[in-house]
Amino acid sequence: MESIIQDNVDPIDLKNYEALYNEQSRRGHVNEKTQFDYALCLVRSRYIRDMEKGIALLEDLLRNTKDEMSKRDYLFYIAVGFVRLKEYGRAIEYTEAICKIEPGNRQAKQLESYAKGKMNTDGLIGMAIVGGAVLAVGGIIGATVAAFKKKPKK
Amino acid sequence: MAAGPYNYSYIFKYIIIGDMGVGKSCLLHQFTEKKFMADCPHTIGVEFGTRIIEVASQKIKLQIWDTAGQERFRAVTRSYYRGAAGALMVYDITRRSTYNHLSSWLTDARNLTNPNTVIFLIGNKCDLDAQRDVTYEEAKQFAEENGLMFLECSAKTGENVEDAFLDTAKKIYQNIQDGSLDLNAAESGVQHKPATPRNPINTDQPPNKEGCAC
Repeated sequence: MESIIQDNVDPIDLKNYEALYNEQSRRGHVNEKTQFDYALCLVRSRYIRDMEKGIALLEDLLRNTKDEMSKRDYLFYIAVGFVRLKEYGRAIEYTEAICKIEPGNRQAKQLESYAKGKMNTDGLIGMAIVGGAVLAVGGIIGATVAAFKKKPKK
Repeated sequence: MAAGPYNYSYIFKYIIIGDMGVGKSCLLHQFTEKKFMADCPHTIGVEFGTRIIEVASQKIKLQIWDTAGQERFRAVTRSYYRGAAGALMVYDITRRSTYNHLSSWLTDARNLTNPNTVIFLIGNKCDLDAQRDVTYEEAKQFAEENGLMFLECSAKTGENVEDAFLDTAKKIYQNIQDGSLDLNAAESGVQHKPATPRNPINTDQPPNKEGCAC
């Protein structure tokens, strides 16, 4: 799963599909395939703003389809986008939605356990940072108290 | 230490392509897990698998991208063809339409990979001989005409699955040995890893920081 999450789009692909999307936008109608292709490039971009835009385009496709198979595909790539944005909780909402459409979908389950794993490690790192901060603040307080205690003696 | 993660000398990139439902993911699963997946849903986008094999006493890590057969993913899956050293092109021997589409898959493979990419044709589901819709001879002839390697396999029983992946690697390795595959080319699909260092922990670090000119 790591390889799939970390895989970045070729910037040339992103540019080409973006051009196609923009051209159709100007003409007033973007077809589903063009929007999907562009969104998948955006979600796999290196830039946060692109990933967010990709998710928004997929959300739009999701709202406008009744086909279960399409929904599953959109949900999966929205989840991939959120994992890339490190919004693991949001990603899990989407992988769970896939499992409602296709119980036991292996890719959705793999993505979900990847997101959960990342959430745990990030949580631990966060706790370590907070813990470190507590120690540092404690140290400062200790030093200040010590300094004040020293002062009256002067 | 022998089981260290860097214990291989080459990385070969593979792709698996072909129509929806021909058994691409099942072939990958059979090769990496030695198990058959029944009721496998259609792949979303791509899946990824690895396995370390041995060719001519060299350990080779295969990085395998298994692409979705659905038409809607064609734009995404095409981006994985680049830099593939091996392409496994799969059809289902019980569904003629999947065989008829091979020329379009082959065109994509030829256009998007490099001239040295080894293309291996796989006729999957050979356990279902009673429902056969494409003869062995016919497919063999197609393979010969197009310079492809060919085997009929069964992801279900495992028959010939190892051979398809290994024979592809042997051919790539042979191309490296005889110099027809240039390892320095940007998209050869092969990475050469220098001999395993004594201390594998250090392999991640840049060799010499002092060499920086900045």
